[in-house]
Amino acid sequence: MGNLLKAEFRKILTTKMWWALLIPAIGLALGWAWLAAMFFTDVGDAIENALNATGISDAELSLSSLALTRAMNFATLFPMVFGALALSSELSRKTITTSFLTASSRASVLGAKAIVYTVWGLVYGVVVAGAASLGIVFGTTGKLPEAGDWLIILLTGILSCLLWTLLGMGVGALLGSPVAALLVLLLYAGLVGPIAELLITGSNPDLQLAGIMPNGSANGLTGSTAAQLLFDQIQAIVGTTPNADEREQFDFIARTGAGAPGAFAAWISGLIFAAWTAVFFVGGLLRNNNRDIT
Amino acid sequence: MARTNPQAKQEGHVQDGSGRIVVQNLTKHFGPVAAVQNLSFHVEPGSVTGFLGPNGSGKTTTLRMLLGLVKPTSGWATINGQPFNRLGNPARIVGGVLEAQGFHPGRTARDHLRVYAAAMGVPDQRADEVLNLVGLGAAANRAAGGFSLGMKQRLALSTALLGDPQVLVLDEPANGLDPEGIAWLRTFLKAFAQSGRTVLISSHLLAEVEQTIDQVVIISRGQTMYYGALEDLRMSQQSRVIVQPADPQKLAVALQEMKITNVSPTPDGKLAVVGATIQQVGDIAAQAGIALYGVHEERADLEQLFFRLTAGQYTGQMPYGQAPQPGWGAPPPQQGYQQPPGYAPQQSYTPQQSYNTPPQGYATPPGGYQQPPTPDQGGWGQQPAPQQPQGGWHHPTPHAAPHQPTGWEAPQAPPPPDSSPPPTGDSGSGSSSDSGSGSSGDSGSGSSGGNN
Repeated sequence: MGNLLKAEFRKILTTKMWWALLIPAIGLALGWAWLAAMFFTDVGDAIENALNATGISDAELSLSSLALTRAMNFATLFPMVFGALALSSELSRKTITTSFLTASSRASVLGAKAIVYTVWGLVYGVVVAGAASLGIVFGTTGKLPEAGDWLIILLTGILSCLLWTLLGMGVGALLGSPVAALLVLLLYAGLVGPIAELLITGSNPDLQLAGIMPNGSANGLTGSTAAQLLFDQIQAIVGTTPNADEREQFDFIARTGAGAPGAFAAWISGLIFAAWTAVFFVGGLLRNNNRDIT
Repeated sequence: MARTNPQAKQEGHVQDGSGRIVVQNLTKHFGPVAAVQNLSFHVEPGSVTGFLGPNGSGKTTTLRMLLGLVKPTSGWATINGQPFNRLGNPARIVGGVLEAQGFHPGRTARDHLRVYAAAMGVPDQRADEVLNLVGLGAAANRAAGGFSLGMKQRLALSTALLGDPQVLVLDEPANGLDPEGIAWLRTFLKAFAQSGRTVLISSHLLAEVEQTIDQVVIISRGQTMYYGALEDLRMSQQSRVIVQPADPQKLAVALQEMKITNVSPTPDGKLAVVGATIQQVGDIAAQAGIALYGVHEERADLEQLFFRLTAGQYTGQMPYGQAPQPGWGAPPPQQGYQQPPGYAPQQSYTPQQSYNTPPQGYATPPGGYQQPPTPDQGGWGQQPAPQQPQGGWHHPTPHAAPHQPTGWEAPQAPPPPDSSPPPTGDSGSGSSSDSGSGSSGDSGSGSSGGNN
């Protein structure tokens, strides 16, 4: 297995794809976080002024945590593409033939690939998290998130990148064609998913269907985390515990603000997204463990 | 060599290190398409075996099943006594070149090899060794995407050689190679086999590999058409005398009187005589007072034999008319049918029969060896049925002279399925060394018996 891991790392490092996708991922995370942080700083200022008017002082919210999650959610497109090409490009370029001929079994090739792309998913996640963090530092003029909160949001972002990588890999392995895989994934995660989630949640805010969908649950993983941290912050400022309805309303608004309308709590979202990932990932690997390589 | 191969002992826990390839009753259906049907053969170490067939005949599918890339519908294939996926570290035992396209275009040749050197656990310097071996040393740092087809073939071969394997399986390795490259490949493969290792090489061109291979497996439409030593196939070819007489009919009768019965007209008005020398034909013509405008001897080359064996691929259409050529007889397929153990002759005879049937196919044969049973050739008239064009010649004097069992007649009247020999006897005898003693005589007499 060590040999195959080494081979898989070499496959990645001897071509340009890994940095050709990593650089725009950094740019997007940084730029998006920067812009979003500027926007949320303005929003935070407005809220602070409003709260100040009601007599609550020291009410500075770190809304830039929302910028952090949005930027990282957006940047997950790149590790997703990277994962989508993992097996599909080998299939389309027919290098899979040699890969299977030089390994003791297909399962070992696919297993090694899964491990290596898990590592790469983490690499992407860490880099994206760093870039997004830098972005909110540049873009926020007010209060930055607490270090602990910040770290938790980054961790969920990294986890999201990892899962997106593996989900992409699974879809690519299932479809077997890079073009088909990229088309399906980019259209869904970049366009159809987000719009559908907005429409569904907008038409019926009580319906948490969006939070069950792959993209919605992925956004919930990060977005609900940020929303939770904001809630804690506000609760500390206000000093009272809201009732269930108020809590629900706040979550809805905060999660939508974080780019995850209709999402469940972070840990549920994480589980749902992990389940989606497992379905595609395992399905893709099983498909290739049996497929005829012609 | 093969038995003392240390890798064989280390790597495969159960593989026997023999270097043998065995394909047994291998069948693969892709949906309704039968790509490979009940294919059986084996390849021994120390020899280069050619695996020949036209495009789409199932060669690649067979090799892919052998290498575990395609799952057989039924049957099995082993290397060193084990299926591919139980070889342990397979690349140290068998090197496969299945396509010259399996490269990332942006990866350099050296990097490509280092990826797979890592996968099979051989040192990185082996990458440069094999690059130099195949003559790509100077292109090591160039991206494979910029390689010519010939260079890609060399790179593919070098990949197969990375693990210093005991068995080489190459699918159309000469495609795109320049003449120099083909000559090099020939020498290389021969030397490889002479060191006691095994080479199985596929091609759709017999001429391309004719000088390289010792054994040959010829398939068409997923079925074995011939399996045995190339030398035996070569021996099976017979010469015939092409004669252009003033009066072909008269000469045919004269020849028959001299017990030279295997005479057939060519489409351009000549006669093809089998079983006689130029001198005999000339003497008989002189005695009969028939002027001869030309006499020469023709010998079917292997390529033509190959054509004939594989012509069933697109039977029925035959737009070019070259598909049947029954006049050249089919001793090789007859032999071949009897070689593969467990082979079911019923299936394999079917295509042969069918390409004898459509008469229009004979109308414009470029080879001109076959008897055209079309109406415009009716001057030769006596052909009773297109299935037995030669019988037409013998029809006037059907019992005058018994046919020589030359095998020339064989394709004219392939035994119908129900009269073909049962497969059981063949499967029992099946060893490749018997192939030389194949019974072309038997098959010939069998078919001529039908004519008589």
